[in-house]
Amino acid sequence: MKTAKSHLFSSDLNEKLNRALIYFLFFVLSFVALYPLLWVATNSFKTDLQLFENSWELPQEWHWENYAQAWKYGIAKYILNSVLVTISAVLLNALISLMAAYGLSRFQFRGQFVLLYFILGGLMLAPEVSLIPLFRILTTFNLYDTYFAMILPNVAFGIPFTTFLIRSYMLGIPKDFEEAAVIDGAGPFAVFWRVVVPLCRPILASAMLLDAMRVWNEFMFALTFVVDDDIKTVPLGLMSFASALREQWTVVMAGLIISAVPMIVLYLLTQRQFIRGLTAGGVKG
Amino acid sequence: MKRKFLNQLTPYYFLLPSLILMSVFIYLPVVENFYYSLFRWSAIDTTLNYIGFENYTRIFTDDLVGLSLFNNTLYAVISVIFQVFIALVLAAMLEAHLVRPFFGTLFRNILFLPSVLAISVVGVTWQLIYRPDTGLINQVLRAVGLDTLTRTWLGEEGTAIYSIIAVSQWQWVGYCMILFIVAIQAIPEELFESARIDGANAVQQFFRITVPLVRETTLVMTTITVIGAFKVFDIIWVMTAGGPNHASEVLGNYLYRVAFRNDEMGYAAALATLLFVITFLLTFIQLWLGRTGKEN
Repeated sequence: MKTAKSHLFSSDLNEKLNRALIYFLFFVLSFVALYPLLWVATNSFKTDLQLFENSWELPQEWHWENYAQAWKYGIAKYILNSVLVTISAVLLNALISLMAAYGLSRFQFRGQFVLLYFILGGLMLAPEVSLIPLFRILTTFNLYDTYFAMILPNVAFGIPFTTFLIRSYMLGIPKDFEEAAVIDGAGPFAVFWRVVVPLCRPILASAMLLDAMRVWNEFMFALTFVVDDDIKTVPLGLMSFASALREQWTVVMAGLIISAVPMIVLYLLTQRQFIRGLTAGGVKG
Repeated sequence: MKRKFLNQLTPYYFLLPSLILMSVFIYLPVVENFYYSLFRWSAIDTTLNYIGFENYTRIFTDDLVGLSLFNNTLYAVISVIFQVFIALVLAAMLEAHLVRPFFGTLFRNILFLPSVLAISVVGVTWQLIYRPDTGLINQVLRAVGLDTLTRTWLGEEGTAIYSIIAVSQWQWVGYCMILFIVAIQAIPEELFESARIDGANAVQQFFRITVPLVRETTLVMTTITVIGAFKVFDIIWVMTAGGPNHASEVLGNYLYRVAFRNDEMGYAAALATLLFVITFLLTFIQLWLGRTGKEN
């Protein structure tokens, strides 16, 4: 009796110790993950002098004017541009990919597999490979240095993954609803729009979120195809912002925090859809 | 109505928009890229002068290509260690039965957070942290008396590339961990239970159950990470633009510099073809390994 009890006790102790070790390790890792952002956040309220003296203290006075200055210095404009580019690209990609997924999952037709691999093949292509010809194409069509120079390539490179996600989901939806609609006399476009699209809402939410994050953070196309500061998105705008304010570090830090907040809030509000998208895709953006 | 539904052209209508956009903005450029690589031309004077494979022979004599590929390989090796092996171990720890769900979710979300940030937010943040005077790292080192270890992290040839690779691990380990968690959650809990009854400890469970059963995810993650390391561009461009003195040059960055700073479009197109071949081969290897894995 006694031995059994002590055995229980020791394994219990062991378990507690292991748990404590794991929690400690992850506490340290969480600190490493968050501290750079917290460091920038606290310093964004200081003067440059204070930053230089001691960067890990809390600010003595909270200089909110750093934020006002960053906002006025262009961050507001860049955020507006990012919102415009992201919403246009995500909606366009969602519509096009829904159609492609529907075509691929609900019909038997000649060339089906070729077209499936044509679309999925885009997943493996590095955007750099298309960069130089794209530059020429956009210049030829007078799209260079316009919003379209960011929207259209982003949509094209988003189609493979979004179509892949939606198609896998559609394959799992029973066809009963559609068949009922066909008996009621609906054509393929009506079936698509009124039956299939509403049924795909959950995966659509996840796919659009992942896509929004990708477009919002896209850097290379924006860098290559846009020079006008008035249409720059956050990733690019932040670079010109940081180099223009080269000596006002705390204002730059305020700008960084303003730029980081929209995506952090979006993620925290939509974790579930987010993780579902990652699970369904299993692919790194 | 039924006849209309079976109209043979219908599926093609649905596929048309994606096919057009992908052809114009992805596939046509890939083909054109190869064509342009056979010429000498610039963005200012767009006349194409045919020079055959001269741009390709130049790749073999260009030391900066070798240096770039070395840095890409370094990037790949370190990233696989952190984003595959360490991420898998961390995922297994968080999924261990003794971790309470509340803490599991909390830690998972915190570690995931860096991956949602834009590359320029990450890049400029770490530039500030790496700064020699006001930067966090040197300030901490000085505060604890390790002044000799202070560096101009991004400004010294010996440390620049490692400093950037470290940032990339900071940003992506949590992301990869979540993908492994998803794979581990798909393993039937009974397997772990019966192993525990047989007296297997946590380490044995990890190597005998977790590792073999997440093999497919591990393979996919390894290839994605390696391919990602060969096409990396933005974080390098933001943090050092390949400097100092090309010490942190990678292929994507070098290609961009040759195209849009040196204005040697033909040579840049040849470098892009090299990148295409590398990613193509890596994808091919993944598909091949994945297939043999399934046969076993």
